[in-house]
Parts: sequence; structure tokens; C-alpha cells
Amino acid sequence: MSAPTSSFRDGRGFDRILVWITLGFLIVFSAFPLVYNVIMSFQNVDLFTLASFDRPFVGLDNYDEVLTRNATQIIVRNTAVFVVLSVAAQLSIGFALALFFQQRFPGATWLRGLFLAGWIMPGLVVGGVWSFILAGDFGVLNWLLQTLGVTDDKIFWLSDPSKSLYSVIIANVWVGVPFNMILLSVGLAAIPDDIYEAAELDGAGRVWRFLTITLPLMRAQLGAVISLGIIFTLQQFDLFAALTQGGPSNGSNVMQYWSWELSFQDYRIGQGSAVSVLMILVVIGVAAIYVRSTRHEHAA
Amino acid sequence: MLRDERLSQYALLTVALALVATYLFPVYWMYVTALKSGNEIVAWPPTFWPADPDFAAAEVWERLQMATYMKNSVIIAVGVTLIVVTLGTGCGYALARVRSRWMDVVLFAILMMQVLPSSLMITPIFVAFSQIGLLDYPRTAVILAQAAKVLPFYVVLTRATFIQVPKELEEAALVDGNSRIGAFLSINVPLARNGILVAALLIFLQSLGEYVYSRSLIQARAFQPATVGLQSFMGPNTSDWQGVMTYAAIYVTPIILFFVLLQRQIVSGLTSGALK
Repeated sequence: MSAPTSSFRDGRGFDRILVWITLGFLIVFSAFPLVYNVIMSFQNVDLFTLASFDRPFVGLDNYDEVLTRNATQIIVRNTAVFVVLSVAAQLSIGFALALFFQQRFPGATWLRGLFLAGWIMPGLVVGGVWSFILAGDFGVLNWLLQTLGVTDDKIFWLSDPSKSLYSVIIANVWVGVPFNMILLSVGLAAIPDDIYEAAELDGAGRVWRFLTITLPLMRAQLGAVISLGIIFTLQQFDLFAALTQGGPSNGSNVMQYWSWELSFQDYRIGQGSAVSVLMILVVIGVAAIYVRSTRHEHAA
Repeated sequence: MLRDERLSQYALLTVALALVATYLFPVYWMYVTALKSGNEIVAWPPTFWPADPDFAAAEVWERLQMATYMKNSVIIAVGVTLIVVTLGTGCGYALARVRSRWMDVVLFAILMMQVLPSSLMITPIFVAFSQIGLLDYPRTAVILAQAAKVLPFYVVLTRATFIQVPKELEEAALVDGNSRIGAFLSINVPLARNGILVAALLIFLQSLGEYVYSRSLIQARAFQPATVGLQSFMGPNTSDWQGVMTYAAIYVTPIILFFVLLQRQIVSGLTSGALK
């Protein structure tokens, strides 16, 4: 029997082949598009040159074009607002719920799990339901706000350019809360009870115990949840498609939606690639920091 | 003292139920709206229980051609799940068993590919697929693209499962003369069965709701999945909210049922994969 075959049957070759099966598929369908994306961002790609393998290179023109548009400033700002507000709200609500469900009462775990129903529903369905809730004339949210006396006039969440981004943020927070809560619950459950008991004997109040025990011990978990929150928020596309399509007049447009819009509605595919490359760098940067920090925790 | 404790437990339970009800209100609203007809949908103030429940499921299923859309969604989700389970299970196992610098690099690369957003990857995928003629098989194109998107997540989840399978059983099988592949299939896979099933189910449910790739790669209505269908009925000026909500309800009810039945397994599978 030749060496490679026996290594496949018995030795390390078996593990290598298993890994390469997955890697091979990912290289063809993920890594190659990633590289191709970078190349296209330096080319003039539109409907006429789409099928060609020999497209004219245009240097940094695409980047120049997308970074100097009038809309760029609004869209970059929207993206930042979308990420910061979504992550902040998901985290605070998720953390509050995780702390609440950490208490002992019948059915706590099961009821906590029900929240994930929001996370598992297709994004487009969530967007559809929220666009009905947020409707200006007959939406139930406006009814609630008026009944509570928060506002006198109906708010046109989806069609008012100054509000539309917030309508997507509301829906996105709803989607993200369960995941935040479940991950933070895991961290809370890992903190031993006797630390709290000892602190209680020493006379530490609830708030003090939270600040001096819970928060410091949850530091790694909070870091992980924030990084994952940023990554998931930058992946959000379906809610934009279902709620506002980035509009009106880019009022709710963000980079990841704009990239798709440039490629598939304006057919400026080279420019769509340029936006895509820039955002992929951001996402990979956040992910690399996250992975490195969790590796570090394990080594320590 | 004991009575106080019981009392506070019930108080907590009441608050918990109120929190769950508040959170799940949008799901309730979807079902209630699906049962309202005509003017009641746009009534002001809104009604929280339909005055005259109108069950439109059969009519909507027929009129919005849901059979085609649902069939395509299932075809895509099944295709993705088959590819991912076939290709990814072994990789999750190898990454759990072998510890080396090389494997660390592989794991890092896989984690990086897990975070690539579909809406950013679709541009190069669309151009490349159209150049090689893959767009003539639109559902296959979506299956391949979505498989590449979710494969890393599946590998990470199954790796967490295989780590928990004791090494000794496999070693004993090897001593008994099993080949590596024999031991893997007859010892490791059966022992990791639950984790594999939960991971596969999560991939299936995610692919059932896939939107970006289907919207961009599939032109013909006959091949579009339910998400793209829903979007096309939901235009900015839609007035058929009963139709939209009935469609949504038919679409997500199986997903929600799956979820409620397997809630415990899904939650534990998710948490083990995301944090280790």
C-alpha cells in the first residue's frame, strides 16, 4: 500500500482531507469572490462589460466616485447611527432581561427561550410585520404613543426621511435582543453564587454587587456580545428591503444596502464592489479583534 | 418566610409572562391581522381581537401562488443543508480533535468567512456566476452561495459538539482494527448526533428565510422562494395587509412550531457554538 493511502486510512492525512473538503468549497465560493470583488472594484463593470473577462482597469475611480457623492456623507452617518444605536439598545435590553431571568422562579429558562422566536423568524417576515405596526395612518405603535400621550400627531415612521432610519433600528433591536440576552445569560450563570453571598454578608447592596461583581466578571462576555452585535448589525439587509428600501431619499440607507443598490438597481457594479470592499474590511477588522480577544481569554 | 418566597416567585413569574407577551406582541399582531378583513385592518383605534374573524389561508395560498414559492424555499433550504452537512461535519470533527498551529489558522480563516455579509458578497458572486453560466440554474446558484455563507457557522457548531465526545472510545475502536473513517462514522458521528441535528436544523431554518441571494440571482418567478414572493406583494403602497399577514403567518408557523418543540436543544446548541 502506498504511503498516502495508508496515511488517509490511519493517520493524520484523514484529518487533513476532512478539513480540505470544507476549505476547498469555501475557497471556491467565498475566498475567490472576495478576491474577485477587490479586482472588480478597480475596473469599470456595468451591463456591457459584465460578461467580459477583459475589462478596462480604471484605477481608484470607483472609490473616488463613491466617496465623493453627495449621498455618501448621509449614508456613512446612517450606518454609524444604525450600528451604535442598535447595538447599544440590544445590549442594554438584552442585559436587563438576562439579569431578570437569572432569578429563580418556575419556568424561567423556558420562558427565556421563547424570546428566540423573534430571532429565528425570516428577516423579511419580521420586516413585513413591523411595517404594518409602524404604518403612519393606522399603525398600532402610533396608537400606543398617542394613548400614552407621548405624541399628539401621528408619526410617519416609514415615509418621513428623518424617522425612517429609526424604524429600521426599532425592528433590528427587536431581532437582536434575544441573541444578546441568551449569550449574556450564559455568562451570568457561570458566576458562582457564593461570591454574591459573601458580598451580601459584607453588607453590599444590589446595585453595589452588580457594579463590583457582575460587571467586572462579565467583561469578556460583554466584549464578545458587542463584537457579535456589530457584525450582525452590519449584516442586516432584509429589514431595509422590507421596511424602507433605504429611502426616502437615502434617509435610511446604509453602506451594506447601498452596495447592493449600486450593483443591482443602478448597475454600477464596479462602484458596488468598491463600497463592498470597504465594508468587508470593517467587518473583518471587528471580527479579527473579537476572535483574537477570545483566543487570548482561553490562553490566560 | 417560606410563604414570602412562594409569593415572590409568583410575582416574578407574572412579570416574566408580561415581558414575554410584550416582546412577542408583533407575532400576535401578525396572526390577528391575518384574521381581520376589510375595514377592520385599518380601523382607528385598532382592534386587538377580530370582530368578525375571517380565515383567508386557503384563498391567499391560491391567489398569491404560495405553493410555488414555498416549494422553492424548501428546495433551496434542503439543498443547502445537504451540502453543508456532507462537507462540514468532518471538518468540525477534525478541528475538534487535532490541535496544531495549522488547525488554528484554518479555524481563524473559517471564523473570518463566517462574518462576511451576504449583501456585500452578492456583487462578485453575481458577476462570477453569470460569467460561467451558472445563472441558468438559478436555484442551484442560490444553494451554492448560501451554502458557502452558512458552512462556517455549521463547522463552528459541530466542532463544539465533537469536543464533548470522549477521545477514548474512538481510540479503543482504532485499537480494535477500525480505520479512521470507520471509527469516525461508527463512533463519533452517532455520539455527536444531537449536536449535528440541531446545527443542521439551524442551517435549514436560516436558509428557509434566505433573501439577498435569491432576490439577486433568481429572475424567473417560477424559481423564487417565499421571501422574494412576500417582498413583491409588500410594495410601498400595499393595501392588502390581510393577504400579506396571512402569507407571513402560513410561512412562519412551521418555523415557530419547529422552534417551540426543539427550543431547549436549539438554545444550548447556539450558546455552545457562539462562545467557545
